[in-house]
Amino acid sequence: MVDSLPISVRLSLALLITISAIGCVQQNNSTGSNKTPARILQVFNWNNYIAPETIQRFEASCDCQVKQDYFSDNEEMLAKLAAGASGYDLIVPTGNAMDTLIRQGVLIPLDKASLPNIKNIHPAYLKTLFDPTNQYSVPYAYTLTVLGFNTNKVRELGLPTDTWAIIFEPEYLQKIKGRVTVLDSPRELMAAALLYLGYAANDQDETHWNQAKELIIRAKPYWAAFSNTSYIREIAIGDLWVAHGYSNDLFQAALDAQKTGRHFAIDYAIPKQGAVMSLDSIVLHQSGKHPDLAHQFINFMLDGKNSVELTNLIGSGNPNMDAKPFIRLELLQNKVIFPDEESLSRLEMITDLNHKQRRILSRIWTEIKLR
Amino acid sequence: MQTSSRLVKWLISGPPLLFLLIFFVTPSLIMIFTSFRLPGEFGGLAPVKLLPGEVAGDSGLTIETYQFFFSDFIYIEIFLKSFAVATITTLICIAMAYPLALLIARSRKKFRNLMIMLVVLPFASNFLVRIYAWMIILGPESGLSHFINGILVFFGIAPVTLLFSPFAVLIGMVYVHLPFMILPLYTNLEKHDPILLDAAQDLGANSWQRFWYVTWPQSLPGIFSGSALVFIPALGMFAIPDILGGTGDIMIGNLIKDQFLGTRDWPFGSTLSIMLTLAVLGIAGLFSWFAKPAIRMT
Repeated sequence: MVDSLPISVRLSLALLITISAIGCVQQNNSTGSNKTPARILQVFNWNNYIAPETIQRFEASCDCQVKQDYFSDNEEMLAKLAAGASGYDLIVPTGNAMDTLIRQGVLIPLDKASLPNIKNIHPAYLKTLFDPTNQYSVPYAYTLTVLGFNTNKVRELGLPTDTWAIIFEPEYLQKIKGRVTVLDSPRELMAAALLYLGYAANDQDETHWNQAKELIIRAKPYWAAFSNTSYIREIAIGDLWVAHGYSNDLFQAALDAQKTGRHFAIDYAIPKQGAVMSLDSIVLHQSGKHPDLAHQFINFMLDGKNSVELTNLIGSGNPNMDAKPFIRLELLQNKVIFPDEESLSRLEMITDLNHKQRRILSRIWTEIKLR
Repeated sequence: MQTSSRLVKWLISGPPLLFLLIFFVTPSLIMIFTSFRLPGEFGGLAPVKLLPGEVAGDSGLTIETYQFFFSDFIYIEIFLKSFAVATITTLICIAMAYPLALLIARSRKKFRNLMIMLVVLPFASNFLVRIYAWMIILGPESGLSHFINGILVFFGIAPVTLLFSPFAVLIGMVYVHLPFMILPLYTNLEKHDPILLDAAQDLGANSWQRFWYVTWPQSLPGIFSGSALVFIPALGMFAIPDILGGTGDIMIGNLIKDQFLGTRDWPFGSTLSIMLTLAVLGIAGLFSWFAKPAIRMT
């Protein structure tokens, strides 16, 4: 999801969330104070990544309390765990971060017998590179990194919307100079450039990286900025016409533009060269106190009726086949939230790099920023 | 008597000294140590094997981050660029703060506190909120943008984008740091004895001469402390280039932040921080060396 917010933004967000979380907990305590203390399920999750009504229903069904801590970035989550944060029954990491957790050996294997609802998951989202037998993880929701655009402007200027060329080729860029942003994330932007050049998003060949770097440096003068969050607002109010961004953020932008009655619409599409998919999964952390309750929660979330609520709330992709009947029609028809088989085959999940590669990529990134 | 006053001195200066020792020196030492280590596979740091019997050269300690730093000119280029931005910010702050501080210092006493309060007032709202407000002000669909581009187009000049540019970064930098220049300048200017100006006038100095030979030299300490308060934070700033900057407005702060949060390369991040600290110390040293005679002159 959101790859790198400024740390001060994150701190203020964290503070805000903590304050509101404290508020919620106190509320819960005051209503159930005369009962015996309920079991508490600790979830370490992305912000706004479970619909509130889903939690309420689970709490009612299990006579327990769900308590969430939030992270805004996989790196942040890993760093907090490494610094000793514990007591989490469940965590919702993205693929490559989950890979790290698995290799660190801090996850508990799932007891599949107590997860009958796992049959609801579409096979395309099971058996990922990171957990080939789903020993530790169950797919939760996904985001695609795609191109968002102002439909009116793009039509007016006669620009294609199904190709990364729109953010890399000067012939298109000159028409939208200063009105386009790309993600401030080395992995995401390099993936887009590599895909456009015909390589895999996870290509680790340094010469290919350098070609991608040249492509990016050539296109850079036309871009307004590298942006991970501000593009959501900017494209929704019409300041931006094209943005390289995350599908659920662009969903939000499209909704905002619609709600505020703008004279244009925001849409987004998967480029034909392919795109990056971030699949978030639920995993069991070894520091959790209630593995049984955690299993119960996972099985609950695997029920289509429950898993659909997040999709309807934030426009995230849903790997749950059982959720289909409950999804709002306009979401179901959205080719990005529910890619067809053909697009699905062109999606790639980002894998982790070793520290030498990370350092090389960081230098390439620095050079990109400086030139 | 002698010993008890010495004791009092220690009692007063001891706690802050201890605080600095624990919270400045210790982290700095940790950082220096970190810069010689290897990044861990999952981020963090690889373990150090200092026990004897280990294979030589496999101790987990290395100078490769320093080699990496000097192997490519781009890192030094970013340093130079950050210094340029911080210097320009400081100079603009001096130019803007001086007249205002002078005005406040010379206005009637009952208005001074009110004016100082107005200078400090922006601090009442969060730093990021104020920077985001600039995004709205400078955005391409904003009134300001339309006004400026309207004028430019009228004179046949191509329209400009204000937001996401070095210009926007400078505006943000100056805006945020201006009070840090005004306050020390004001406290300095306020203490000037007006009799000196009267004396200068009696001796036939015109208003420019009175300023240049009386007020300006006396205000140098204020300018120096204000410059330190502006220059050093401006140098390490990463939020403003992140939010208001365009595609080329990376500063050293952004680079260091990236090493810890994005690249998970703590050793290289530490190396960059050490280089920054050294550079700032060097500049502060040069500065005080230049400043001393200038201040002593007064």
